[in-house]
Amino acid sequence: MIVGKQKSIAEIREIVLPYKKLLVLGCGTCVKTCFAGGEDEVATLSSALRLSFKKDGRSIYIEELTVERQCEDEFIREAAVAISKNTAVLSLACGAGVQAIARRFANVPVLPGVNTTFIGVLEKQGLFTEECLGCGDCQLAVFGGVCPVSRCAKKLQNGPCGGSRNGKCEINPDTDCAWQQIITRLTALGQLDNLRKYNPPKDWRTSHAGGPRKLVREDHVI
Amino acid sequence: MKPESPSNLQRVLSDGKFAVTAECGPPRGADLEIIRRKGELLRGHADAVNVTDNQTAIVRMSSIAACVHLSAMGLEPVMQMVTRDRNRIALQSDILGAYSLGIRNILCLSGDHQTFGSQPDAMNVFDIDSVNLVHMVKVMKTDGKDMSGFDLVSSPRMFIGAAANPFADPFEYRVIRLAKKIDAGADFIQTQCVYNLDRFKEWMRLAREEGLTEKVHILAGITPLKSEGMAKYMAKKVAGMDVPDSVIKRMGGVPKGKAAEKGLDICLETIAALREIKGVHGIHIMAIEWEEIVGRIVETAGLSPRPVTA
Amino acid sequence: MIKKYKPQITLFHCINAFDNCASLPVSTGGAFELKPVKMACSSMVKDVFLLRAFEAGADAVAVFVCPEGQCRYVEGNIRAKKRVNFVKNLLDEIGLSGRRLSLHNVECGDTENAVRILQQVLSDINDMGPSPAK
Repeated sequence: MIVGKQKSIAEIREIVLPYKKLLVLGCGTCVKTCFAGGEDEVATLSSALRLSFKKDGRSIYIEELTVERQCEDEFIREAAVAISKNTAVLSLACGAGVQAIARRFANVPVLPGVNTTFIGVLEKQGLFTEECLGCGDCQLAVFGGVCPVSRCAKKLQNGPCGGSRNGKCEINPDTDCAWQQIITRLTALGQLDNLRKYNPPKDWRTSHAGGPRKLVREDHVI
Repeated sequence: MKPESPSNLQRVLSDGKFAVTAECGPPRGADLEIIRRKGELLRGHADAVNVTDNQTAIVRMSSIAACVHLSAMGLEPVMQMVTRDRNRIALQSDILGAYSLGIRNILCLSGDHQTFGSQPDAMNVFDIDSVNLVHMVKVMKTDGKDMSGFDLVSSPRMFIGAAANPFADPFEYRVIRLAKKIDAGADFIQTQCVYNLDRFKEWMRLAREEGLTEKVHILAGITPLKSEGMAKYMAKKVAGMDVPDSVIKRMGGVPKGKAAEKGLDICLETIAALREIKGVHGIHIMAIEWEEIVGRIVETAGLSPRPVTA
Repeated sequence: MIKKYKPQITLFHCINAFDNCASLPVSTGGAFELKPVKMACSSMVKDVFLLRAFEAGADAVAVFVCPEGQCRYVEGNIRAKKRVNFVKNLLDEIGLSGRRLSLHNVECGDTENAVRILQQVLSDINDMGPSPAK
């Protein structure tokens, strides 16, 4: 899923300051799961914002709404009426959701309330880890299901750097060395020979290096 | 130097002589005098001088420029190049440029991560890794092609180096990685500083078993310790460094004023032990901001004078 | 005439920790106004409820939970503690002072302690003054 983190109250205050009527719009999919922008976060943030403004003798009208997904028209439509009644939208979706809303409502300022951080997994309750960079050319079969592109700080394709120590990455003792994990996995799978093979430079065209990407499924285009 | 002539380092090694290289860190500034001063301290004591490339991710005078300054003094540089700061386009271009400036040796590295440096807010590149870089330089040299397959008008014929760290984990994989670097085209290897001789010997044994020492020249890293504090710092703070407690104890066992002498003793013992290990073809002295000691180390170790190969 | 200010405390309490609001020494003529909110378990307290208490005019919010290790639902009081800490930080960020929100482990039936805590909360309000977001 997409993992995000709500911006600080101070930053959100700053960006919503010019608007008197604000729709705080949550998204009920990824950012809900990581406690950044679901229904509960919409309610808490709205309350915090009202208190913050009231404390300074200002007033702001806040409407609260959460749709299932801000990145799909079907659900965006559900927000249309609420959006039309407000002067701005503070979206708690990921960057994709913010832009999807902005694109469909040309005359309404759409502001981000969340910093989109990574594609990751819920490792355990309250802990999310980055697992994928969306490079567009998945080689997890070679690496035993552990990704060196997203999980190695240097994106190394041919083995661990000299800083791997006791299974941890040199840049942070809390971060596992992806290469140690790759080797452990491949050893368990009896596929350590995968690593003797030279991996040529990665073709980054399929990644963001090739510019904004697009996926067309002709069989679904009417 | 004729464009096709091999480097001095290459000749020393292929003549079967025990090689000595030393490290020279460029200044955090544009001052040519600092490079000259360091170069003078190393003159006559090393077959080639490694010039670091923004080491520890701190901005310094570029490796290429400092290499050229050393060349002008008559010293032979080993240009270190990291993949952290340049993509493949810039790397290839700089290699062509460096060769045109007379640089004949390259050490291919991935580079310290920028979070260690003075500008942790920087974006890194890591378009390719160090093994890819070795391969790229090799293809330029032997096939005369750049990475796109384009036939270069004139190909850079670098003597190609790579790094190895026998002390990092996972230990079993360290020799596989060495083999990959050799297969990719490395002519010589410079290792992380050796303080843990037992582990180094074990790594060398595995390398010999795989037949790797027949294919590549291994130069063992040496860094003289100045103080107990430095030993402790290296042990704890420097990524990928293995300084055993026994070494720290020896450094701490003498009065502060004598610590540098003790560091020198340890260094000379290590060199003597390294020369006994089959497959070790030289040493690489990294005297961090202590270039004046290099001459003494080389002379006391009986590695002076350096062979004249030209 | 200006209406006389009377501090307002909202009390979220787990009924297993404390369920005797009638016994508390507060009346309409008392020193402060108490708004009790009963919960079957303190884990039912949510971030937004705590904030809304302040929106409704509370000068301080107190949360009574069972002593650690004694939650009937195993870890409800631990969850409540984590949430209270989260909201305290939020209040600090807003500039309302996290001190206005407090969590207390209360032994069931210990009314004396409950009274002591509320008096402390009241004395804290007197230090801080009324909520600036009233």
